[in-house]
Amino acid sequence: MILNALSIILIFIGVLSALLAIWGGISSLILYRKWKRPSRPEEKTSLEDRSYLVLLIMVIVLLIRLINWPLFYVTLQSFISDIEGAMCIFGVTQVKVGLTRFLEFLKPTNFFLIGGWLILHFLDRATKTSPLMRKKLLLLSIIGLFVLIDSLGDIFLILGIAPESLVSCCTTVTDILNRPTRTTPESILGPEYAQSLQVLFFITHLALMGFIGVSLKFRIFRRLILGLLSLFAILNAFVFLLSQIEVFAPRMMHLPFHHCLYCLWQYVPDSIVMYLLFILGTFSVGWGFTTELFGKIGEASDLLPNYLRKIYWFAFFFLSASLIMLVIHLLVD
Amino acid sequence: MTKNKKRITFLIIATIISLAIGCQEERKSIESRCDYDGVKIEPIYAVYFTLQDGTEKKFCSIACASMSFPALKKQIKEVRVTDEPSGAKIISSQAFFVESEIVTVPHVKNRIHVFAKKEDALKHIQKFKGNWVENPFLS
Repeated sequence: MILNALSIILIFIGVLSALLAIWGGISSLILYRKWKRPSRPEEKTSLEDRSYLVLLIMVIVLLIRLINWPLFYVTLQSFISDIEGAMCIFGVTQVKVGLTRFLEFLKPTNFFLIGGWLILHFLDRATKTSPLMRKKLLLLSIIGLFVLIDSLGDIFLILGIAPESLVSCCTTVTDILNRPTRTTPESILGPEYAQSLQVLFFITHLALMGFIGVSLKFRIFRRLILGLLSLFAILNAFVFLLSQIEVFAPRMMHLPFHHCLYCLWQYVPDSIVMYLLFILGTFSVGWGFTTELFGKIGEASDLLPNYLRKIYWFAFFFLSASLIMLVIHLLVD
Repeated sequence: MTKNKKRITFLIIATIISLAIGCQEERKSIESRCDYDGVKIEPIYAVYFTLQDGTEKKFCSIACASMSFPALKKQIKEVRVTDEPSGAKIISSQAFFVESEIVTVPHVKNRIHVFAKKEDALKHIQKFKGNWVENPFLS
């Protein structure tokens, strides 16, 4: 185990959130089952009080888990100097490859689930009758399980990374000629794939922003449209990732043969802001869809259009800001 | 509405500031780093390509230089490598290349060593179970 302030914080958060996720997950499942049963007024009051306590504590836990995602990478970054052969986060991820890869997929999933749940929670809180309470409790028990797995993963990973481990870094993996991020687009777009990929990214990104803009302008918040918009946002995220690895990251780093995104964050730190904006923009599109999917009940239905308008406005803003940052970088370079 | 405008202004300013800071950091970090993967160069393992236009490309190891060589081949005028025992820069065609169990630059697992004198190379071969390898920068 590599002991530093960040690893201690990560373990502390992991232990705390694992314990609270077990308690919160089980409590919310019990409350979910009790919520619909007919009961006497005093029992109903006690149930409501317990629900609010569980929600209050779990909201804090979930907010901490949102911060945990960037904290995870900051902690891995702090380990670079202790791992022989690591020159960026990629090297650190090679010490426990399987577990780190799993956590790297789980963390954005959790971020999305938590963000979506928090939006539902705030929507429900704006109502007088809490029509979403039952759904919220059920979803919370599921998210509790994800949080538990994530927290335990963090603890095992930090405890498992031994100092002085010897690894190979990104150059030997991300820059080889038969890397999948090169061969896949090359087989579809031909030898000039990089140029095509760049154009494709700008088309999909601008189209996504355009669709969001049209939805906002004409207030089209139908489930099918929002679902399609979410699918298009996933496609755009895939093209973004591919074009970043193959085209934009090497240009921003001034290293034309190097394709590592972890190195990009290291050498061009403001790219982290650009990625954050892109992630928030893409997730906001998904959050709009999940809010429409789960939030259309009773009193909450009346408040929904206003919430959706705000969510999609944020999506539009974040996606525009990330695009502007990318364009400025390309122009400055 | 005014509240929203304030938030937007704040976000835009924060983005521009972070961008400006980032760009400055970027320029600082690029200098004296490997032109292949951006790693800080250890002078005794450095490789230098002098291009036709007079500019120079520098690399942290034989591994990084070899990976860049095919793409830059047509533009290269001269390749210089560093003699490990003395740290002197020599033309690659005059150098002796040895592959052994000793790793020079761990992140690329580079095991190729460069020597200006044949006796130094032979000593390394005997001591670290090495063998001769061809000059990787032959066009």
